[in-house]
Amino acid sequence: MTLISRKTRKTFLARTAFWSTLRCGEMSGLKRHILVSCLLLGFAPAVRAADLLDQIRKENRLLWGGDQEGGGPYIFPREDNPAEVAGFEVELAARLGDLLKVRPEFSQGQWDKMPDLLRTGKIHIILNGYEFTPERTAFMDSSVPYYIYDLQLLARADDSSIRSWDDLKRLHAGKKASIGVLTASAADTYATNFCRDVCEVVRYDGTTDAMREVETTKLDATLQDGPIAAFYGPRFPKLRNVGEPVAPGYYVIYVRKGERALLKVLNEALIFMVHNGDLERIYRKYGMWSDRQKELTAIAGNAKFYGYDATLAATVDRDAATPDTPVTLGKPEHGWAIVARYGGILLQSAGLTVILSVLSFPIAIVVGLLVAIGRLYGPRLIRAPLAAYVEFLRGTPLMLQLYFVFFFLPEVGITIPAFWTAIAGLAINYSAYESEIYRAGLQAVPRGQMEAALSLGMSRPTAIRRILVPQAFRIVIPPVVNDFIALFKDTSVCSVVTLVELTKRFSVLSLSTQATVELMLMTGFLYLAMSYPMSVVSRRLEKHLGLEPAL
Amino acid sequence: MITVKNLVKFHGQTEVLKGITLAVKKGDVEAIIGPSGGGKSTFLRCLNGLETFQNGEVLIDDMRLTPQTHVRKDAVMLQQVRQRVGFVFQQFNLFPHLTVLENLIEAPVQVLKLSRDEAVHRAETLLRRVGLADKLHVRPRNLSGGQQQRVAIARTLVMQPGAILFDEPTSALDPVMAGEVLSLMADLAGEGQTMIVVTHSMHFARRVANRVHVFAGGHDVESGPPSEIFESPRHETTRSFLEQAR
Repeated sequence: MTLISRKTRKTFLARTAFWSTLRCGEMSGLKRHILVSCLLLGFAPAVRAADLLDQIRKENRLLWGGDQEGGGPYIFPREDNPAEVAGFEVELAARLGDLLKVRPEFSQGQWDKMPDLLRTGKIHIILNGYEFTPERTAFMDSSVPYYIYDLQLLARADDSSIRSWDDLKRLHAGKKASIGVLTASAADTYATNFCRDVCEVVRYDGTTDAMREVETTKLDATLQDGPIAAFYGPRFPKLRNVGEPVAPGYYVIYVRKGERALLKVLNEALIFMVHNGDLERIYRKYGMWSDRQKELTAIAGNAKFYGYDATLAATVDRDAATPDTPVTLGKPEHGWAIVARYGGILLQSAGLTVILSVLSFPIAIVVGLLVAIGRLYGPRLIRAPLAAYVEFLRGTPLMLQLYFVFFFLPEVGITIPAFWTAIAGLAINYSAYESEIYRAGLQAVPRGQMEAALSLGMSRPTAIRRILVPQAFRIVIPPVVNDFIALFKDTSVCSVVTLVELTKRFSVLSLSTQATVELMLMTGFLYLAMSYPMSVVSRRLEKHLGLEPAL
Repeated sequence: MITVKNLVKFHGQTEVLKGITLAVKKGDVEAIIGPSGGGKSTFLRCLNGLETFQNGEVLIDDMRLTPQTHVRKDAVMLQQVRQRVGFVFQQFNLFPHLTVLENLIEAPVQVLKLSRDEAVHRAETLLRRVGLADKLHVRPRNLSGGQQQRVAIARTLVMQPGAILFDEPTSALDPVMAGEVLSLMADLAGEGQTMIVVTHSMHFARRVANRVHVFAGGHDVESGPPSEIFESPRHETTRSFLEQAR
């Protein structure tokens, strides 16, 4: 077992002491609000901070958040087992786990929702190509950088009109040049600033979407994070790099504001990995190493970070580590090979879609029925609130409701696991629609039915339960089945609460394989295969229970 | 058995019953005739609480309906009134999702809390009585109108009500089917069943009823034994109505 060399450790110790004494003092010379936030940072969350690291150690589990839809080389489904993830961040997390002596556990979430997952404690760290920006450090704490990225401009190899950045400022076939970028990424910001009025920025949700659009000549160029351009380059042979990479920036790990103990051990581990060559080894494996990465060593060396005290007992020996074989994407596959490789995992995700639907819909039906009965026959006092319930749930998007339950309720102390959040969200949202269907169904039962029941001495509740509801039920079978099929497809919204159901799985796989057509057909087929039997059952049920139209 | 005192009923601004007073003793068969829109059906529906009214009162034995009677607060009393006074509708109003037998046993089981066996026994007896013993497991939509109305009468009888209110029970039927139903009603009358019948069948009113009321313009303009009403009507309205009905 070798620790960091004694000399290095000594240097770090000294620098750390220097920085920790200076950090707040230095800032006190700046504007007052910085001092205040500095103090707040120092005191307020101290207890909770210590708790989180303790908790991670006690549970022996470091939940690191990322989105496999982001694709390679960061996090992507393994080609040999698409249920597992691979990527340089997966390996980075594994090494962090080794050094912290805890088991790293990947936690899937939507990339842009990572800060919410972090804030509500559903993940412990964000480790997914998150750039260092001052805006983000306002509400999260950043580690030292683990990679220095840059942005690469790509255009078609046979397009001689774009040989440099300046060419983008000219008209192409009478039109402004169009540049594709990943929405809300650093490339988006850079391209938007560059273009202003002279070229057009087109935003995409998937990393490689824009690359495909350049190949098919819909776009003139695309600006991509260096690692993506390098990793997926071979999949897009018609593209070539234009000019030198621009706008370098830092990928960092984010932790919840004030988690200083956790941040400290993460920083120690990252710096250790810089010095012992682990990071370089990982990056070389993924073809991401560049001269730029030497700045990592500089950052580690001059201790421009906080919290490091060199007491880390690392278990890794640089000399003992063997060089890894490089990871590159396999040849792009198409046709039946894709079906064979990814059919299983798609089917598995379809299973989650089915489970979400069949668990949530019966609840929606029961709640909806009760709401409809309450609105039609209940005391005046509860009618208005029930009407409000329906209007509110129908009038706001399901995604927003899920978001509220998953990311806001934890703020007031109510934490519901993702799966049950999805079930509850779908059930409650659809109960509003079902209640309206039942209301219409109950009102469609002829008035004479209620009168006949009452005239036989039945109470209103008995009449509703035994005479009206069974008849209404038959009337509403077609629209209810219609809604069940709609809910089936609406389960795709559940990816917002980190569930990987069929549609999300499709997005992830199509991004990492570029076999969009095959995957789209399979996904569509699976949805159809699930919903069509429902229609058949519904028609048979109608026939079996059916009533003739009321006179 | 049923006593009505000065019953006044408004539909919005329109006064549809302008102070009806009437008494029905056990075993009486009362027929109500008169032109359309005279308030006959509305009157009948007030008697078992299907309609509210604005003045007067309705006494069913010891139970009392008033303008203050509340659908919710007096729900139990209303249930008892309706068990005492059955109702037969013009449109039958059978429960289409249930078979004939199920139509009959629903209320005895749910309301009277009879055992299913006992209710079935009662129902079968009555269905034999109305001549439909072979239709036990048929759904209403597969019956003729006359058969449906006979099932509806049996469904009322199975609750063993003190009186039955008939609201134009044969108006939706062709003459042959109407005949089936009217002869069944005549049989019931012969057995001493108390009944109030709103009807367009002058034949039934003349032959079966003990007493006939002529409703017009919200008033009980004339009432008396059928012989009096049909042979020597005193009121001009009665005369012109009978002229047209002929």
